[in-house]
Amino acid sequence: MGVQKKLAELVPNEPSVSLLARIVSVNPKEIQVNGTPKKIFYGILGDETGTVPFTAWETENLRLEKGDTIRVENAYTKEFRGQVQINFGNRTAITPESSDAVPPYQPGPVTLKEAKVKDLREGLGGVSITVRILSIEEREVMVEGDKKLVYSGVMADETGKAQFSVWKDFGLKEGDVVKIEGGYVRMWRGIPQLNFDERAEVGITDEELPSVEDLKKSARIWIEDLIERGGAVDATVRGILVDVKEGSGLIHRCPECRRVLRKNTCRIHGEVEGQSDLRVKSVVDDGSGALTAVFGKELTEGLLGKSLEECETMAREAMTREVVRDELADMLIAQPVEVRGNVTKDEFGIMMIVDSADMLKIEVEKEAREMLDDLEDLR
Amino acid sequence: MIREVAWRVFAGEYNESTCVFSEGGERAPSYVVTPLGAKVNRLLVVGVITEVENIASEEEPMWRARLSDPTGTFYLSAGQYQPEAAQQLSKLKPPAFVAVMGKSRVHSPQEGTLYVSIRPEMVKEVSEELRDFWVLEASRSLRERINANKESNQMDPLTKEGLVALGYGDNLAEGIVLARQHYGAVDVERFSSMLIDSLRYLLPEYREAPEVKEEPVSEEKEEQETVVMELIESLDKDGKGASWEDILKGAKKAGLKKEDLEETANSLLDKGLVYEPVLGRMRKI
Repeated sequence: MGVQKKLAELVPNEPSVSLLARIVSVNPKEIQVNGTPKKIFYGILGDETGTVPFTAWETENLRLEKGDTIRVENAYTKEFRGQVQINFGNRTAITPESSDAVPPYQPGPVTLKEAKVKDLREGLGGVSITVRILSIEEREVMVEGDKKLVYSGVMADETGKAQFSVWKDFGLKEGDVVKIEGGYVRMWRGIPQLNFDERAEVGITDEELPSVEDLKKSARIWIEDLIERGGAVDATVRGILVDVKEGSGLIHRCPECRRVLRKNTCRIHGEVEGQSDLRVKSVVDDGSGALTAVFGKELTEGLLGKSLEECETMAREAMTREVVRDELADMLIAQPVEVRGNVTKDEFGIMMIVDSADMLKIEVEKEAREMLDDLEDLR
Repeated sequence: MIREVAWRVFAGEYNESTCVFSEGGERAPSYVVTPLGAKVNRLLVVGVITEVENIASEEEPMWRARLSDPTGTFYLSAGQYQPEAAQQLSKLKPPAFVAVMGKSRVHSPQEGTLYVSIRPEMVKEVSEELRDFWVLEASRSLRERINANKESNQMDPLTKEGLVALGYGDNLAEGIVLARQHYGAVDVERFSSMLIDSLRYLLPEYREAPEVKEEPVSEEKEEQETVVMELIESLDKDGKGASWEDILKGAKKAGLKKEDLEETANSLLDKGLVYEPVLGRMRKI
């Protein structure tokens, strides 16, 4: 049943492969197939040669647990964002194996890949990268009953910012320029994150990188690139706001879980006394792609020039909450905007939780003149 | 499903499209592929609405509209399935600066011909500044396609992967390969001229007096323009524009030759002082 292969030997578009591997991570996920919800699993498989992301499309009666060792027959591979990905389809057979069937991961001669922050993608391993630490904090977490210290923060190079998480105290401080060899990328709350541990080589280098202050500035990124990267830390997007979606304006939230209520009913807690809140769920399109941009209460109040209380009064007088959304739509639709915040990705696309927003002022004449001069130089 | 991007594409490029693409399958989105390879399912355009008309009944309206940009005219239509957009269209009083986001549509009255239009999802009256901003965005987008086409003309074989390796996005790379299969090699120079004209449109020295550089406007011409403008205004009794026949008669009375009238009318059209709501009628903007 297909060729038995080690993970490191896989190439894209193999129609039938067999594997013996350990489940490094597994997550359920609900997707929409032709309008009906479908449950799938995604995660990472590992063996002694490396790790590869996988997706299981047929999950009925399928139980996959982290740490399980499995024999997989008749899986197929695809390429996703330049990497091999394993797929379990309806012809794939999965059987449990004893845990010693797969030797532990042996980082043989690891081939390191030079990367910039903008190249960090889920599943990438053996990353070699030089960055400046912009922030770092220590946290205590419980791992299998033991207290462990984890250091996490934000790092950056000239191509952008990323989150990182370290399972060892390398003595990193804010402002350090460090070379990290042997990091790997996992998703953390919808954003790619660089992880590394005691197996990685980490050292201060004297390579030149812009100052902390310059790196803290947020770079403008095209939405097309954000979609391809699968999320980003503190990105700036410039585009035209093209939609103010349903569920914008004055909303009510569940007092228990903060979910938005529909007809005074929470999806989890049933009929409850809602708490008022303001937000905008908008679509920003920059001509390369579109993202959902969510503005919270303070930003929405700022845009409207009205407080939550004033909006409640307005809605009472109009006898509908929709007046608030209408006012926002009137004000925002077809407006060029610059929005800044963290960007996450899921199956519905990418979403920014907006930290700051500005109406965009562009010097059209100046930019047109520059473009024209460039073109005429070429002639 | 990732939301479809709203392309900024000029009417001059969009209207020349004769290629339709879909991945197949009932729910797969369909695209209009332009000669330069913009793979358009949705587009955002900003320009001057010059005509709005309900071509069906009060009860079940079907609104048609025309929207001009510096390179040509977009055709819009919205009916009962686009209630919000249709309502917004119905409220517009042309001429007005308007932003429209919508889906690409094609119709083919007979085999071998294909017309493209826009089915609006969003219609909003905007400022002239936004129109200028859009012209800049559309110019930038056009420039990228021109550059990609120049490079692709030198690629043999032309592949999507090859274009992506040069730094172009997946979407555009795929569109260019589709366009090449359908249209063959594209005359990039023609679109380069369109780009330069569009950028000049944003600069005051070109916009206000496009003729100045080539030939100084004589006093005689200015006078003729004033006469024709006044004629058009006075003959436009019902707001649908003055008919060409009436203008011709009026011009004769005022002592203008037919050739002079034609030249003057063209100049007024170029300057954007008048427009043609329908063929054969002229109206002051």
